[in-house]
Amino acid sequence: MSKIMEWIDARLPVTELIKSQATEYPTPKNLNYWWNFGSLALMVLIIMIATGLFLAMHYKPDALLAFNSVEHIMRDVNYGWLLRYMHANGATFFFIAVYIHILRGMYYGSYRAPREILWWIGIVIFFMLMGTAFMGYVLPWGQMSYWGAAVITNLMSAIPVVGEDLVVWIWGGFSVADPTLNRFFVLHFLLPLLVVGVVVVHLWALHAVHSNNPVGIDVHEGKDTLPFHPYFTIKDLYGMGVFLIIYCYFVFFAPNAFLEADNYIPADPMKTPAHIVPEWYFLPFYAILRSIDFLGAFSKLAGVIAMVASIAILFILPFLDRSPVRSFRYRPLSKQLFWLFVVNAIILGWVGYNPPDASLFHGAIPLILIGRTCTAIYFGYFVLLWLITALNIEKPRPVPKSL
Amino acid sequence: MRLIKTIMAVCFAVGMVPAVLHASSGTPIPPAQKWSQDGIFGSLDKAAAKRGAQVAVEVCMACHSISLVKFDQLRQLGFTEAEVKSLAEVQGRTKTDRMNGALDETSAKDAFGVVPPDLSLITKARKGYEDYTYAILNGYLSDAERELVNKVMADGSVSDQEALELQSALLINTHDKDHVKATLERLIGGASFNKYFPGNFLAMPQPLNNGQVSYTDGTENSLKQLSHDVVTFLSWAAEPTVAERKSLGFWVLGYLFILTVLLYAVKRRIWAAVH
Amino acid sequence: MAIEVEENRRDFLILTTSAFGVAGVAAAAWPFIRSWSPSADVLAQATTEVDISTLQKGQMITVPWQGKPVFILHRTPEMIAMALKGDGESLPDPAKDADRVKRPELLVLLAICTHLGCVPQPIGTGSYGGFLCPCHGSHYDTSGRIRQGPAPRNLEVPYYDFKNPTTLVIGKALG
Repeated sequence: MSKIMEWIDARLPVTELIKSQATEYPTPKNLNYWWNFGSLALMVLIIMIATGLFLAMHYKPDALLAFNSVEHIMRDVNYGWLLRYMHANGATFFFIAVYIHILRGMYYGSYRAPREILWWIGIVIFFMLMGTAFMGYVLPWGQMSYWGAAVITNLMSAIPVVGEDLVVWIWGGFSVADPTLNRFFVLHFLLPLLVVGVVVVHLWALHAVHSNNPVGIDVHEGKDTLPFHPYFTIKDLYGMGVFLIIYCYFVFFAPNAFLEADNYIPADPMKTPAHIVPEWYFLPFYAILRSIDFLGAFSKLAGVIAMVASIAILFILPFLDRSPVRSFRYRPLSKQLFWLFVVNAIILGWVGYNPPDASLFHGAIPLILIGRTCTAIYFGYFVLLWLITALNIEKPRPVPKSL
Repeated sequence: MRLIKTIMAVCFAVGMVPAVLHASSGTPIPPAQKWSQDGIFGSLDKAAAKRGAQVAVEVCMACHSISLVKFDQLRQLGFTEAEVKSLAEVQGRTKTDRMNGALDETSAKDAFGVVPPDLSLITKARKGYEDYTYAILNGYLSDAERELVNKVMADGSVSDQEALELQSALLINTHDKDHVKATLERLIGGASFNKYFPGNFLAMPQPLNNGQVSYTDGTENSLKQLSHDVVTFLSWAAEPTVAERKSLGFWVLGYLFILTVLLYAVKRRIWAAVH
Repeated sequence: MAIEVEENRRDFLILTTSAFGVAGVAAAAWPFIRSWSPSADVLAQATTEVDISTLQKGQMITVPWQGKPVFILHRTPEMIAMALKGDGESLPDPAKDADRVKRPELLVLLAICTHLGCVPQPIGTGSYGGFLCPCHGSHYDTSGRIRQGPAPRNLEVPYYDFKNPTTLVIGKALG
């Protein structure tokens, strides 16, 4: 056995790679459970690719056949219902893992030097996931699929000059129709494979600069670190067990909790449902899009810009935060801002879920007003974080020298 | 700990908000019914679903199809092959056929102005699920309610007092007297009024009545019982694999629970050296 | 610390957990594997039921079974006599007519030529009073046996049974 490994290692240093990058990879010993969500996201990605691959063997990307082929999977294919519910709920749990992963990075300053490129690659993955999830939601070809696709593709029409032509090009016709479904299926299949490639680069970038930690200081290898195996393999596996219990509860006992009833109605281009909503993971961004309605003819474009900017602004976060301290654990003002940001994002999601003309207390507070306020707070977080750190308004508490 | 408290406070606040939310659309929420298949331990009442299949074939399928189910599959509910055959013959079909209604789309559109929706997924495709379908079947005016409408409209006008009375009887969610009056006029004109249908008026006249179907097992055939049975059947038709899903779920969750406890024990053991 | 870890690795608890986890991963593969097996709607096509009460003497019908054509022929006494006569002759693929039918008057054949898979013409088109495959001129007799032409074997008789005297079920139910 060792002879064979020696032969291989002389030509391709596999053992060396596994040792340096996996088993003996030095990892800060104080990582808390919020650091589990990276490996959890990877696990969901694998589940999604596996189930998706097998679903694709039974699904038909044809406007006339798609809806019934999904029901064929649900009713006739052996364990087809399991594959589909794992895939549909997998999207939800993917975003749960990814959002917590991102927020963990924001709280502990994981985007700060020297991890900017690692952070940027993460945002690229996030964008790709959103595109993949959107196109995947179109595939069952129910009413929500259809009208979700119509609304989101129509956002492109806000782009000046070329917008209208661009939308027709994306549709491959005069409306969302068979050609659109067919190309979305192909892209939905392709994008996750590209995501895998970018995830490899994400891990490469991580291993180049090493993990951040809750204290947010640079660690001394040996004194402050533990080998990844067995300490963090077992911690990750334990986290996966807990995560899988919650995930499987939904798959087996509440599989439609995150799905909209309207999507069990076949797509009808002649009739829009009374209340269309995107999937929950898009709701905060959808609320930002809708809250820009006070700029007249410019509102549509401004809404789209605001929505894209709400994620793209994460790219410049490493340069906005000027604090000498990474971790918010030692930054009282930043910490409060952070929790305001989280609560605000949840409220935005709630605003996005409700009809645009709804109101609180019998018309006293229109929801659109709450949406605008929350949009302002969302972007305000980034401005304030920059102000309190650039102007040294925040006085960080003392940071330990080592772990 | 403070983080967890914050998260809990946020969840609580978000949970409270719908209580004070006022949305503009005002269709009443269908009252919750008791369904044997509800909850993680619930299982389908097959006898009810079997009776419901009879109601579906004899009544609903005069206009609606249930195209994702084949007659042959009804054997899963306890029908014998001969019974399946005679049920299929009610609609002029054979047992290997899909449960398509007698009415084709064109003549349906001529008769009702709309194509009656396929019922295969109806209990999954409407907010309120089983409760909604049940509420629609029971949401037409009773004789007493119809009498009340006639009494109010006898003089051709609606007083404030009458409007209030009607609002609570017919669950019309509006403060506008003219809207109530317009609704009543349409109702008297013969349109089908339903308390739980968004917009109140639908193309389908009351489909089920007391005593419309005779059961062979001696179960009473009131409207409530008939509609409860047919909705139980439609719930099965919407997802015949539910029982398989739930039973596998217990095995999977049981396995994962034990595995996670073991992993936690191993994690404690390995980290003991560090802590 | 490294030594303790070595000890831990041999630990009974860790062995149990590993075995339990590996078993779970292996079991999780099963739904994926099973999803390739014929689905319920395909299995429903495993058998074909045919009502033969209205089949007249000398009449032949073609029914689909598992997506393939099957001939059902109600043979006349002359056809049966011709088939029995063939029993005594030298055949390329020897078989007794009695072994190819369950009831002498009813012949059930998978209508796929054993040469290159064409569907033979109906009864009475070939020599020997039987079926002619038009593609390359194979002649099958009134028992579906190859008598003349390039086909190597007799027409196959699919599995069939009588559910009741007038209902024929072709094929075996699966799953």
